[in-house]
Amino acid sequence: MYRRSLGAHVRASLEYEADFWILVFGVGLSQCVGLVFIGAVFAKVPHINGWGLWEVVLMYSMMTIGQGCSELFAEGSWDLPMLVNRGELDRMLVRPYPVILQVCSFRLGMNAFGTLAVGTVLLVTALARLHVHWTPARAAIALLVFASALVVKVSLTVIANASAFWLRGTISTFAAGADQLGDLTRYPLTIYGVGLRAFLSTAVPFAFVGFFPAAWVLGHGQSAWVGLLTPLAAAYCVTVAVLAFRFGLRRYDSAGN
Amino acid sequence: MDEPLIRARALTKTFRRPDKGPGLAGSARHLITRKYTEHHAIDGIDLDVAAGEAVAYVGRNGAGKSTTVKLLTGILVPSSGEVRVAGVVPHQDRIANARNIGVVFGQRTQLWWDLPVRETFTLLRDMYRIPPERYRATLARLTEVLDLGPLLPVTGRKLSLGQRMRADLAAALLHEPPIVYLDEPTIGLDIEVKDRVREFLRDLVANGTTVLLTTHDLGDIEDVCRRIVIVDGGRIIHDGPLAAVRDELARERSMHVQPAVPVDLAAIRAALPGTEVSGEPGEFSIRFDRFAYSAGQVAAAVMGLAEIRDFRIDEPGIEDVVRRVYEGGLVESPTGAPA
Repeated sequence: MYRRSLGAHVRASLEYEADFWILVFGVGLSQCVGLVFIGAVFAKVPHINGWGLWEVVLMYSMMTIGQGCSELFAEGSWDLPMLVNRGELDRMLVRPYPVILQVCSFRLGMNAFGTLAVGTVLLVTALARLHVHWTPARAAIALLVFASALVVKVSLTVIANASAFWLRGTISTFAAGADQLGDLTRYPLTIYGVGLRAFLSTAVPFAFVGFFPAAWVLGHGQSAWVGLLTPLAAAYCVTVAVLAFRFGLRRYDSAGN
Repeated sequence: MDEPLIRARALTKTFRRPDKGPGLAGSARHLITRKYTEHHAIDGIDLDVAAGEAVAYVGRNGAGKSTTVKLLTGILVPSSGEVRVAGVVPHQDRIANARNIGVVFGQRTQLWWDLPVRETFTLLRDMYRIPPERYRATLARLTEVLDLGPLLPVTGRKLSLGQRMRADLAAALLHEPPIVYLDEPTIGLDIEVKDRVREFLRDLVANGTTVLLTTHDLGDIEDVCRRIVIVDGGRIIHDGPLAAVRDELARERSMHVQPAVPVDLAAIRAALPGTEVSGEPGEFSIRFDRFAYSAGQVAAAVMGLAEIRDFRIDEPGIEDVVRRVYEGGLVESPTGAPA
């Protein structure tokens, strides 16, 4: 059902083919800006806090793919403030399907395809440059860790937007701010102070999107093992997202008549 | 089953409204000292609806009609009181309840805005897990009755209001729910579409579907419902058979007459004591109690004085009935001013 809803949106958007390609191109361009920055930094210094260029690109790519997944699977959550304030959630509440999924599939971020393409190219290139000793077990765990990392990212987007149940503004300023915190974890977590590090790995575990999974795959640093906790972080984030919706819906007042 | 299909007891819903002063200063002050006014949208409603009943739920704007529907459908959580619909507590077991009900909001579409109507229907088919043969049969029936054929390939946003309402009705009924809530289903529609929707609703009721219809267009209910519940200020102020309400409060009729030549209105007043005659000698209206005079008697009296070119009798709208309830015709005036 969820897939069908998204699929229908893709078909609807593809009717405007030119728009589609412009979007894909535009997004690719915006992602490249971040890369140019990384390139510029590494042109001057060979390492940031012991992390090399391709290691940072790996983290960066995970975050980018995560963002693409959010755009693909949870873009509708950005409409939550509008849905809540205009009482548009009513129609979802009278349907026998979890509201959280109806909201997430309410819209499709067409940039998703551009973001995912850029992210994937970066990921593949970085992994090719970095000499990781792959064994079947290691590859299997890496897949699980990466998949969990993406779940963390998507859930955090949904949680940030669920704030709309409590904050009655019509624009998701808070959510956008919270989401941008994630950009901090495009770079090695070790460059930040203890407080920020703790914050980004526990309360708002953005570090589990890029940094910890990458550190584990690379076996880099003393805390590389933390990457193995990514599935736990994912379970935690999904639970919080579901609970946020459950409690949020109890507060939902609908609107007008 | 002894329990009525829909059962509400002492149901209340209270909204808290921020009590802001005017302007930016007021808003800023509100950030610091929060004050709220409580607004009882629904203030202790008891309602039983038996399976197969068609109930009109009537009231002015802000009387609490829509809030009641939102409580019964599980959209809102009640502040206190109990509600059960087909044995399910709607706000606790929202998904189980959603399978039993169909909901139409006149003011708000439930179609996917950017998808063709056909796609919306397919999504709903999957959502309700309607078996394919069943879906095909239901869709074919609804397509025929509501004339949806030309609408199926059109996206939601491109439909006119009337088309949208027809598609919305189908979207609410695809899964053949035993209970249907209609919240102002004919609002803003032109007469032709209104009639079609009403006819459709009559058939729905005839087929045994339980219907709760909120409206302030009283033409809707005369066609469809036998029972009328009148709400005001969040309370039920009347609940009974529609016909009784009409006999009790809608005794007055008006006959509008155009005589061939102007007549003396005083003569008509003299011929029909107890009626109220207003207008011009060339075109006038006679208001009469239908238990005191029959329409035939009034017409005969007029014809005795003048040749009639044209005349028309206004049946009392339920609108008048409701107004008279509000004026104190049935019950003591309700507490709390509506919004």
